[in-house]
Amino acid sequence: MIGLVDGNNFFVSCERVVDPKLNGKPVAVLSNNDGCCVSRSNEFKALGIGMGVPYYQLKDREYPKGDLFFRSSNYELYGDMSRRIIEVLRGMAADVMQYSIDEAFIRPPTPELGRLADYGGRIRSRILKWIGIPCGVGFASTKTLAKIANHIGKKLPEGVFVMPDEADGILAGLPAGEVWGVGRRLPAKLRAERIMTAKDLRDAPDDVLRSVGGVTLLRTALELRGVECHEDRDYAADPDSVSCSRSFGEKVGDAATLMEAIASFTAQAAVKLRRHGMLAAGCNVYAQVATPGLFERGGDWEGSFHGCTVAFPAPTDATNVMTEAIRRSIGALFVSGAKYRKAGVVLFGLEKAGAVHQTDLFRSEQRVASPLYRTIDAINARLGRGKVFSAAEGMRAPSWQMKRSKMSRRATTNWNELITVR
Amino acid sequence: MAGKSQIAGSVVAGFPSPAEQYLEPPLDLNELLVRRPAATYFVKVEGDSMTGAGINQGDLLVVDRSLTPADGDIVIAAVDGEFTVKRYRTGFKTGADGRKRRFAALEPANPAYPTITVQRGRELLMFGKVTAVIHRL
Repeated sequence: MIGLVDGNNFFVSCERVVDPKLNGKPVAVLSNNDGCCVSRSNEFKALGIGMGVPYYQLKDREYPKGDLFFRSSNYELYGDMSRRIIEVLRGMAADVMQYSIDEAFIRPPTPELGRLADYGGRIRSRILKWIGIPCGVGFASTKTLAKIANHIGKKLPEGVFVMPDEADGILAGLPAGEVWGVGRRLPAKLRAERIMTAKDLRDAPDDVLRSVGGVTLLRTALELRGVECHEDRDYAADPDSVSCSRSFGEKVGDAATLMEAIASFTAQAAVKLRRHGMLAAGCNVYAQVATPGLFERGGDWEGSFHGCTVAFPAPTDATNVMTEAIRRSIGALFVSGAKYRKAGVVLFGLEKAGAVHQTDLFRSEQRVASPLYRTIDAINARLGRGKVFSAAEGMRAPSWQMKRSKMSRRATTNWNELITVR
Repeated sequence: MAGKSQIAGSVVAGFPSPAEQYLEPPLDLNELLVRRPAATYFVKVEGDSMTGAGINQGDLLVVDRSLTPADGDIVIAAVDGEFTVKRYRTGFKTGADGRKRRFAALEPANPAYPTITVQRGRELLMFGKVTAVIHRL
């Protein structure tokens, strides 16, 4: 039996914990650079404003129920709230696997198996009381079914749903495209095979599933049949890759500034990497085109990506080694005359630091974490992020830095931004 | 700490330290002040409405949301959308008609401020119980 716990309108709920005047009001949290709505309160949804509606279309409009409230993404706050939720779950479940910032799979302890609805209710009320975040909880025999159960639970007043053994009715009412793991492009192919609902998907012959969506789709169908196919792992604890990407506050049109931004993202991704105690073998660097260059080459249009793959001399967690390797390859990425709106770095080929590798028959080497960067991380943890940084990240106030004009306080991670009480 | 086993140092050549078997981690204020980290928030005091209770302008308060406040506890609550620190007063009061009714109020510790009574139409949202005051000299 597996449970899925997820925070309702998570970003908005976090904002409400630190700012009670947002309760009962239509609130939306905006994406990077205050672009569009990425999390909405129920009151906001009730006004019929969809996910992803751009902020500029909304800011001057008047709504009958009074003002709309907007907040910039406060990832420091959301990350801390997420950590607290996982901590509470660790105290109540036999196993916790964080899936995303606002979702975690849990395995209930054996004594709770006979009273899952009650157990789910206790989890929910503890997270609400201790942290202040309302959650939905769903239980089922597999992760895919637990996702569906959670979706149903969230809409119930008690917030909890346990998938019954006989789930035909529920699955028949759910479009196949809404099942976890069914890609966005698949539904058209599924329709051609007359697979319309989750029930159709569950009951389709294996060979049909395999030919339409490969082994991934077959696994999804098996999960719907109650056969566990997703391995248990803590998605956040041992990542396959670590990344950092940002939209720029202003378009970037010169190679030097782009390199500064990329160096800064590399540094941030490397901090995450070191926190996991891992080394990376290489990275993908990419930048998204806002204005194409003068001399158009293949694949150079607005919205396209320029990218390059960089292999490090040896698996490393040292920011300077990474930056140097990237700097040498950046020429392959930057197109003169082009302007970029976003860039990112994905570190891959991750392995645990300290593992011993046999490089040839007579020699083995131990790949270790960089002591220099362990020290830098310690200093930055104490004095504040970015106190010690490499000059490659740029010495001026960066123009590409994300705009977060409506950001709430980082009330749980920064002593200077605590909630004030009168 | 009782019940916790510890790994005492690494293997080194030379004479063992006579203190080794007595080694314990240094005292940690978190251990003293924060019982449940997941439920604990720190907030900063603005103003002088609680000076009588030893809570002054600029003090840091440790707030534990997991505790249910009882009559007499100092709490953080939101009134009309603003956070406030006050003494929580609750219990039963006999009305003019002789019937007992539950009441709740937020009482300042400074005569210059009024008690906030929770009436119909006024929203009080309990945030948590204050468990410690950190006052820098």
